[in-house]
This record gives sequence, C-alpha cells and structure tokens, in this order.
Amino acid sequence: MITKKKIVNFIGLASIFLLIVSCGQEDSIMLELSFEEKLQQRLIQAQPGDVINIPAGTHEITRSLSLNIPGVTIAGAGIDESILSFKNQVQGAEGLLVSANNFVIRDLAIEDTIGDALKINESNNVQVLRVRTEWTDGPLSENGAYGIYPVQSSNILIDEAVAIGASDAGIYVGQSSQIIVRNSRAEYNVAGIEIENSTFADVHDNVTTNNTGGILVFDLPNLPVQGGRNTRVYHNQISANNTSNFAPEGNIVASVPAGTGLMIMANDNIEVFENNFENNNSANILIVSYLINELPITDPNYDPYPEAIYLHDNYYAGGGESPDSEPLALLQAATGQALPDIIWDGMLSAGKTATDALCFSESFDTTFVSLDASNGFAQPAFDAAAHDCALPRLSAISMSKTGQ
Amino acid sequence: MTDFYLRPALLSACLLLLVACSESPPVFHDTERPLRLSDWQLFAVDANEFIPSESSVVFRPSNPLFTDYAHKLRTLWIPQGLQAQIVDHEIDYPVGSVLSKTFYYPRSSSTTLTKVADNGLQKISLKENQLIETRLLVRKAYGWDAFPYVWNDEQTEAFLRVAGASKQVSLLDQGSREAIDFTYFVPNKNQCAGCHTTVHPDGDMHPLGAVFSQLNVSDRGIEASIISPLEQMIELGWISENENFPRSKSWQDTSAPLQDRALAYLDMQCGHCHNPEGAADTSGLILDNSQTPAINRGVCKPPVAAGGGAGDLRYAIVPGQPEESILLYRMRSDKPDEMMPELGRSLIHNEGVDLISRWIEEMTGAC
Repeated sequence: MITKKKIVNFIGLASIFLLIVSCGQEDSIMLELSFEEKLQQRLIQAQPGDVINIPAGTHEITRSLSLNIPGVTIAGAGIDESILSFKNQVQGAEGLLVSANNFVIRDLAIEDTIGDALKINESNNVQVLRVRTEWTDGPLSENGAYGIYPVQSSNILIDEAVAIGASDAGIYVGQSSQIIVRNSRAEYNVAGIEIENSTFADVHDNVTTNNTGGILVFDLPNLPVQGGRNTRVYHNQISANNTSNFAPEGNIVASVPAGTGLMIMANDNIEVFENNFENNNSANILIVSYLINELPITDPNYDPYPEAIYLHDNYYAGGGESPDSEPLALLQAATGQALPDIIWDGMLSAGKTATDALCFSESFDTTFVSLDASNGFAQPAFDAAAHDCALPRLSAISMSKTGQ
Repeated sequence: MTDFYLRPALLSACLLLLVACSESPPVFHDTERPLRLSDWQLFAVDANEFIPSESSVVFRPSNPLFTDYAHKLRTLWIPQGLQAQIVDHEIDYPVGSVLSKTFYYPRSSSTTLTKVADNGLQKISLKENQLIETRLLVRKAYGWDAFPYVWNDEQTEAFLRVAGASKQVSLLDQGSREAIDFTYFVPNKNQCAGCHTTVHPDGDMHPLGAVFSQLNVSDRGIEASIISPLEQMIELGWISENENFPRSKSWQDTSAPLQDRALAYLDMQCGHCHNPEGAADTSGLILDNSQTPAINRGVCKPPVAAGGGAGDLRYAIVPGQPEESILLYRMRSDKPDEMMPELGRSLIHNEGVDLISRWIEEMTGAC
C-alpha cells in the first residue's frame, strides 16, 4: 500500500530529480550554440572596451549580425584570414549592422552578403581598418548594394580596406561628416568609392579600378542630410573604370556611364589634385548637375548645381575613347576624337558664372569640354579660359577624438 | 532517521510549490536574466493549456503588426502597488512592468499548423495550438529591455535565446489547401530594438502595442459589452482615469476610409523605422503619422540606397500604378535584401499588399 508519507517522499525526490534534469538542460542550451549564435550573443552582451576576436578561418553566417554597444572592437586575424561568409544567408538586409559609437572593426573579410556587407548607421568615431567586403562571383546585379557603408555617422576612418563587387558602391559614405577614406582598393563595383550628401571628407591614396565609376562625390535631394561639400580627392589611382554598369535600375548610380573616373554631382567646394586618371573610357572627370538625371526636384532646400570645384596637378592618360552615354557618344562621333579629360555639363545656377562652378590649373595639354546640357547639348564648348583660375586650398580632415 | 527530518522540509517545499503554481503573481527579475520563461511566473503551463497569470491584463492592440500569420497572445503586468504615470501623453510604465507576446499557430492536425485569422485567445489550448516563442519587454531602471524565449517542441518550457533562433514551419492555407513552407525567425535582442527603438540610435526601446492609442479598443473590436484593455488598467488602478485617451486608426477596420486604413497600416508596419528620427530616415522615406511632404511619403520619390530592392523601378509610389511602385514591390518580395519590413516576416502579407495596392491605385497624379 502506498502511504501518504511515501507519496510525499516520492514527490520530493521527483522534484529534486526534475531540478537536476533541468539544470542539465541549461548546459545543453549553452552547448548547442553555433559559431554564428555565439558571435551574435557576444555582440549583444558585449561591454564597452571589449575586443571580440574572429579567429582565422571561414565562418558561415546565415543571419545578419548586429552590434549596438559602444566602444567595441571586432578584430580578425587578417583581411584574407578571418572570413565571415554569408553565402547561405537567409535573413537580414546586411551582413553586419552597427549602431555604436567608438567602433573599430579590423583585419577581417565579409563575403557574399545578400544585401549590404557592413552598414554603420548613426555612429560617431568609427574605424574600419584592413577590412575586405567582397562578392566573390564578380560584378553581378544580384550582389548587395554597398560594401562598407557608414551613414549618418561622423569621424569615420576607412584605411587599407578592400571593396569588391558591390552592385552600388564598394565604399559608400552617406549623410556623414569628418571622413577619411585612404589606402584602400575598390574594384569591380558600380561605384568604387562614393561620398554622398556628406561634408568634410578626404579621399586619398586609394586605388579604384575596374569599377563602372571610380570615385563619385554626389549630393541628392529629399534626404535628411544634404548640402554635400568640402571633399578633397587626392593622390588616388583612378584607372580603367570601364566595367559595364550592373546596378539595378532606379538607383542613382545606375545612371553612371561605364568608363567614368571621377564624377562630381551637385557638390560644392571639392578639391581634386595629384590623382592619376588613366583610361577611363567615358570620361576621366565628369562634373554634372543633378538636373542631368532629368528627375523632378521638389525639394526647396536642395541646390542641384556643383560649385567651387577645383582641379589641379592631376595626371591624365588615355580615356574618353568609348563613352557609355548617348550625348557623350554623339560628341565623340562629331569630333572624331577621344573625349576631353574634364567634362562639365555646363549647367549653371541663376546668376553664377562658369568660373563659380569650376576652376582648374592642370598641365597645358589637359583637355576640357562644357556640354551645353541645358540646351540639349547643342553647342559643346572646348575653350577652358573661363576656368583658368585657382581656389583656396581646403584643409585636411582631422578626426575629432571626443568620441561622444 | 534522516528520513524523519527530511519529510517536513519536503512537505513544506511541496506546499510552496503548490502555492506557487496556483497563486504566485509574476516576478520581476531586475538583475538576473532567467534562462527559463517559467521563472517569470507570467503563465501557467500544464499538459493542456497555456494560461496567463490572473494578475496580467491580456490585450490586443487595435492596429497590430504582421508576423507571418502567427497568432499572438499579449499580456501586460504591473507589480502590485505600482502605477503607471502619464508622461508626454503616453503611458510611462513603472520599473518592474513586464509585457509579453506569445507567438503560436493553430493546428489542423497533430503535425500540421494552419493559416487562419487570429481571433485573440485569452488562453491557449496546447492540443489545438503550437507555441513558437514568447518575447518579453521588461521595464528596468535604465529603460525597456528585451528577452526572446523559444518554446521547446514539447511545449513545456521556453528558453532564453538572446541570439534569436529559427524554426521550419509548414502552414496549411485553409483557403487554398496548399502548404506554405518557410523559416520562422525569432529575433535576437538587437533585432527587437530594431523595431522598438523608434528614435535611432540613442532613443530607448519602448512598447509599440501597449500604448494608449492601441489599448483604447476592446479586443473584440468596438463591441460595447467588452471593456478595452485601457479600461481594465484603469479598473486595476494601474493608471488614473483620463478622458482624452487617443485611439489609433486600424488598418483592419473595414469601415474606415481606404486612405486612413492604408496610412494606419504603413504607420504600424513601417513607421517604427521610417520616421523622421528612425533608423530608416537615411532613405528620406517617412511612413509614420508625422506631417511630411508627399515626396517623402514616397510619391514620385526615387530610391536612395535600395539596391535590388528598387526592383528596377524608378519611384517609391507612382500614383495609380501599384505595379510601378517600389513600396509595393518591397512588400511583395520575400527576399531578405529586398523585402520590407526587413525584419519580422518571412512571408508576404497578402492582405496588406491588397490594401496598399488599392490605395496606390486610387491615387491621382503622375510622376
């Protein structure tokens, strides 16, 4: 006969047993975490000052990673050694999404993300050092839009990065301020390096080649941050950016002609010097108004015209030989020659002169054309006299170290 | 003889356990992060039923977010003796408050889950339903914090998964009798913040459903006989009475004008990021209830950083032409890099697509 006493004893034992079992279960929960889950968990539970190491090897990640804790460093063992591969990604619009001040990421690669590779949104004091973002099947419109993508951020240093295969821009800094992009390589992207709706940027000592456009400095309307200005582009190698445009239609870079070296759209106070422009088959330098896109402008605060663009001491070789743009191709057919090194659409804000838009002091044999775009490209002008002027040099960018 | 001493101790322990099972109110865990959902004592789970604590208010927001046709049971609990304050015309919950949202699917058989309308159960039969996950939003001294718990297959316990989880789900569509197979994603903690931090990035997380405008409608619609969650909270003394509680428009309210329903839908599904201070303000596309020029609401607006999400189309909204509108393209996509919202769904919300499609269809103008 089972007495009450025994039942009580049994329940007591059973509950102890249950406790033991459930404690065991806890351990098994911890053990079953994959590399990916452990990494995401570390990113969530990180403390300011933490260094999260990514060991050498290829680590498969299937869902977007994200970091919201300030002061964290993500450190790999090398740009070709520690690889976060998103080849089988099933969730998330980016590889790694960061919203955190005082962020450092270095010595690793982010490959084959389904959308953007490394997006850094609204963060101050950001360093991206020796990071590679790459789509490994080459330039395809299915590739993610951006490789290294800080947006609405400030005090951004991108150094010795490599960006390959983005269907929009390899290195894209948008709506940001205090920016240095240097010693980096961008290849087989639609835009190699793009500075958009940003202020105070230095883009120097980079190599951009085999993109559709090497370096773009753009300002677009209807965005919370606009009025792009004060960018210096110098000491860059900008060559053979002749890859066919593979951006999905609708995006602004889909309108960039293949073979563009440097394109400046609607930005002001841009200094371009001591770059090597070589063999960009549409144009080594293209300077245009936003109006060239023939898109409506409903934003009363937006200035679509580039102004105070200053080019000096650049080296040009080849280029302009097979332009990928109807008006440019017509011009080439009409002249029977390669297009000039510097091409300006010629569109001016009311009351402004050609000198207000563009000055250059290049070597004597540099060629130029103003396209007369506002009159249907009727009378292209090759005379550069109005642009024979100099502008004050812009100052170098120095990073604010406040980190707040 | 040890037996003799042990027995009273065991007896009292069991009594405590029994008391805990039937009576204990939820527990606020301030510093620890319980690995088990049961440690919060928000629910009783036995072999047949998942029952919210009697101390909680079960509620349905009037304008709910779509999550892969999952059904949701939401609870709201404020520790005894505490009261929410009203700050800037919104509920400011006291430290210790716990909001929960349990995601589940009804079964059509022991192995098949089904896609049917969510009628808002107050408790869940575990024979007729499969629990997937329970998300907690917990009010700490430093603000709201998020805790995603994932149910085991036996439906006996849910375990904390801060890094999220995924689950293969097959849903039988009761209309077409076709199976819909997909991966259901439990968000990680940062992804919770992706929606619940509406002022990006420095704003705190805050509730989206347990707010005045969403609580001010009974969970049976506007049937007068059933009091709204807000009225329940007033009765419980959790908040003081106030005549001026706003009531949100709901995309589900078929008696409302199409325009109101569409804007309510976009506000709820998109506005947590697409607001003037949200994570998606970088796009310049603003879809919450704030005043914004038509172009920033998407009318004739070119994409900025949409990539393939632009679908080879030129504008977010082309009046009268839903097929030409990126907004609809992204709602109709289930590719992670194209679809909107980016998080919270794997499936296409057909009813939402229909609504927005009709709304764009009726717009006049051209780009």
